[in-house]
Amino acid sequence: MAALLLPETLDLKAAGPLKASFLSRRGEPVDVDAGQVRRLGGLCLQILLAARKAWAEDGKAFSINGPSEAFLETTRLFGADVALLSADINGVNS
Amino acid sequence: MDELEAIKVTFFQECEELLADLEGGLLAMQEGVGDIETVNAVFRAVHSIKGGAGAFGLEPLVRFAHVFETLLDAVRSGEVPNTVDLAAVMLRASDVLADHVSAARGLGDVDMAASAAMADELKAWTDPSAAPPPAAVAAETVDAPPPAPVAADPDALDDDDLGFDFQPMTISIDAQAADAELIPTNVWTVSIRPKSDLYRKANETALLLRELSRLGPIVATMDDSALPTLEFLDAEAAYVTWSVRVETDDGEEAIREVFEFVDGDCELDIVRGEAPVEAALANLLSAIEPPAPQAAVQAAPEPVAEPAPVASAPEPVAEAPPPVVAAAPAAVAAAPAAAAPAKVTQADVPGPGQSVIRVDPERIDRLIDLVGELVINQAMLAQRVGEYGIAPSSNLAMGLDELEQLTREIQDSVMAIRAQPVKSVFQRMPRLVREVANMTGKQARLVMDGENTEVDKTVIERLSDPITHMLRNAIDHGLESPEERRAAGKNPEGVVRLAALHRSGRIVIEVQDDGKGINRERVFSIAVKKGLISPDVQLTDEEIDNLIFLPGFSTADKISDVSGRGVGMDVVKRSVQALGGRISITSRPGLGSTFTLSLPLTLAVLDGMVVDVAGETLVVPLAAIVESLRPKAEEVRPLGPVGSVLAVRDSFVPLIDVGLALGYRNTSPSPTEGVVLLVEGEDGSRAALVADAIHGQRQVVIKSLEQNYQQVEGVAAATILGDGRVALILDVDAVINLRRRESPRPTEPSLIAAE
Repeated sequence: MAALLLPETLDLKAAGPLKASFLSRRGEPVDVDAGQVRRLGGLCLQILLAARKAWAEDGKAFSINGPSEAFLETTRLFGADVALLSADINGVNS
Repeated sequence: MDELEAIKVTFFQECEELLADLEGGLLAMQEGVGDIETVNAVFRAVHSIKGGAGAFGLEPLVRFAHVFETLLDAVRSGEVPNTVDLAAVMLRASDVLADHVSAARGLGDVDMAASAAMADELKAWTDPSAAPPPAAVAAETVDAPPPAPVAADPDALDDDDLGFDFQPMTISIDAQAADAELIPTNVWTVSIRPKSDLYRKANETALLLRELSRLGPIVATMDDSALPTLEFLDAEAAYVTWSVRVETDDGEEAIREVFEFVDGDCELDIVRGEAPVEAALANLLSAIEPPAPQAAVQAAPEPVAEPAPVASAPEPVAEAPPPVVAAAPAAVAAAPAAAAPAKVTQADVPGPGQSVIRVDPERIDRLIDLVGELVINQAMLAQRVGEYGIAPSSNLAMGLDELEQLTREIQDSVMAIRAQPVKSVFQRMPRLVREVANMTGKQARLVMDGENTEVDKTVIERLSDPITHMLRNAIDHGLESPEERRAAGKNPEGVVRLAALHRSGRIVIEVQDDGKGINRERVFSIAVKKGLISPDVQLTDEEIDNLIFLPGFSTADKISDVSGRGVGMDVVKRSVQALGGRISITSRPGLGSTFTLSLPLTLAVLDGMVVDVAGETLVVPLAAIVESLRPKAEEVRPLGPVGSVLAVRDSFVPLIDVGLALGYRNTSPSPTEGVVLLVEGEDGSRAALVADAIHGQRQVVIKSLEQNYQQVEGVAAATILGDGRVALILDVDAVINLRRRESPRPTEPSLIAAE
């Protein structure tokens, strides 16, 4: 299981590196630690969504752990909490 | 409408913070340290105020904020150079904006002429060549119909809005108003399709959504169907779009204003009505189908395209529903299992400021009272246990110790809730200084210190008036005119320093000017002329300075608007005394004066030394005590007919018998029989207080004498001891002062008045 610690600020600057770090972990279950996140922007949200889908396609586990209050709040604000955080589609393909 | 009122109150609270940010940013710009971030912050502050004001239909405020914002936008984009002069203009504009906010709040009026003039000035800065004739602008500012802010502002909106579908603009305000009557709903649907540029310019959809949520509860539905797979995803391109259901009583304009920031970088459709949300929901349902059929979703992009035609339909509600109704059941049928999680998405997004709780201060006061009782109770318990002679090492005694620790922690925490930095008061002062300086034709610079000094909230609220008075006084009476200052070889710009600090368990506020100082001869002669003192009294410099606190005293040659109706300083003094505080002045001719205001922190608890004086139990605040000692006979020297001093190491300090000072006894016993507490007053002066015996240190709960009885000179407050008796808490400074003016000239009524 690969761990991925999300940085505090997930903005424009963080988007490229975030994508790269997901790509480098492709193919194995990933455990995303969102505990430090204080700002989540639209771009990084897109990457998280795409990554989640990619992992689901691979049939590997993708979990977001200990999300910070800010992360949860912003995800909810984006209306992305179900797509990103709900457990029932966690790495399950069918 | 109560709820709306509550939101409005929150808005005004936010306005205060925003205005403070605005002023802070502008001050930084004025000092030449404002970078683009500062400009952005300033812009955002004005923008947020405008947005909120639009939401509440506060037209004059919106109009002024809009002009201001336009200028700031030009500064932000570099069209207008960011100069120190400009910052000064904008500072004045921020004052006008603050006036508008107060007026909108129902506190005071706005000078519309001044506001229009300011607006003109801002416009002239924004676009020097196209400054409209003032008369026309004034008329517009006063009479313009609601759509004016958008319509009258070609400059701000002329960025490229290629691809920006402005169809909804055809909905006129009137039509909207008519709609509002026909359709009882206040629901809007906003489709947001950010372009990549939006993110590239460091804007953020999350912020837009958050701004929207200020207007009312929102539910955002995300459409990520255009999102490519991870490999093919451009990390800096925008794919996801949103459809947001907003419930707000504010019109389309308020919603549109949220997006003014990102004009052109975001496709936007605003439609009145609930229905399209269901379309979006349908999209959502299809989007959250198990991810496997992703290829299918890509192959059949209908759901993606759907929100566009629905949302951009200019006729709201009437035509929108049919396709929606058709789409929704289909989607639900296709993915019945997914319906449940979809509901979760509909959870309302609460407004910002979640992490802050606003609490009714009364509740905190009650909590503090209760904690006070707890402390007393704990002390009583400890005393009882002591009476039973239980060994200190026993479990019971140890448990009590722990209880004491806990009590103290609770106390500290509760106090911290109510403590606030004096910043909230200080931040209003730069404006006051600017205004007063303008009115009096003086140049003044305010330097503030210790803004983060924390004081009990109850004190903070009452600090504002005295500080305002003292500052006005310092500028009006203290500082000289620029010419006089130049003639005296000083910088034409006077400096007024406002500082807050903790000293001896009290908060001290200092207002210091570098002006001409108090003209003692004139003060004396005026006091004589007004019959406040007799012409033949001999007064020290300090006593003359203190004459200005006498009721009915004014030194200004002419009465100005600013200060000098002769009520100023004595009113300050009385209001300060009512708070259990003191005010004093020191002045050096030609160099300036310093007013020192000292107030108790009115924290309900204090560490004190419990002493016995003439059979009474008194508490001396520990913070004032330097040391305690038993004097030897040779250290006590008589001074004058009744006084005596104590030699402490290299210096002599006056000996004060507390019993005598408070009137417990008429003759004092020899100091060598008692204990001496060496105390230090606020002004740094020392004295030796004589008590009969020391009982030890204790934490005591302050019970206000003023509230429950009346102010007593020399006594700061009272407390209840562990055995249930009431003990008085000594006001060390007052006792020193009592002594000071009583012993040399016991019968000098004018001095008592002066003090």
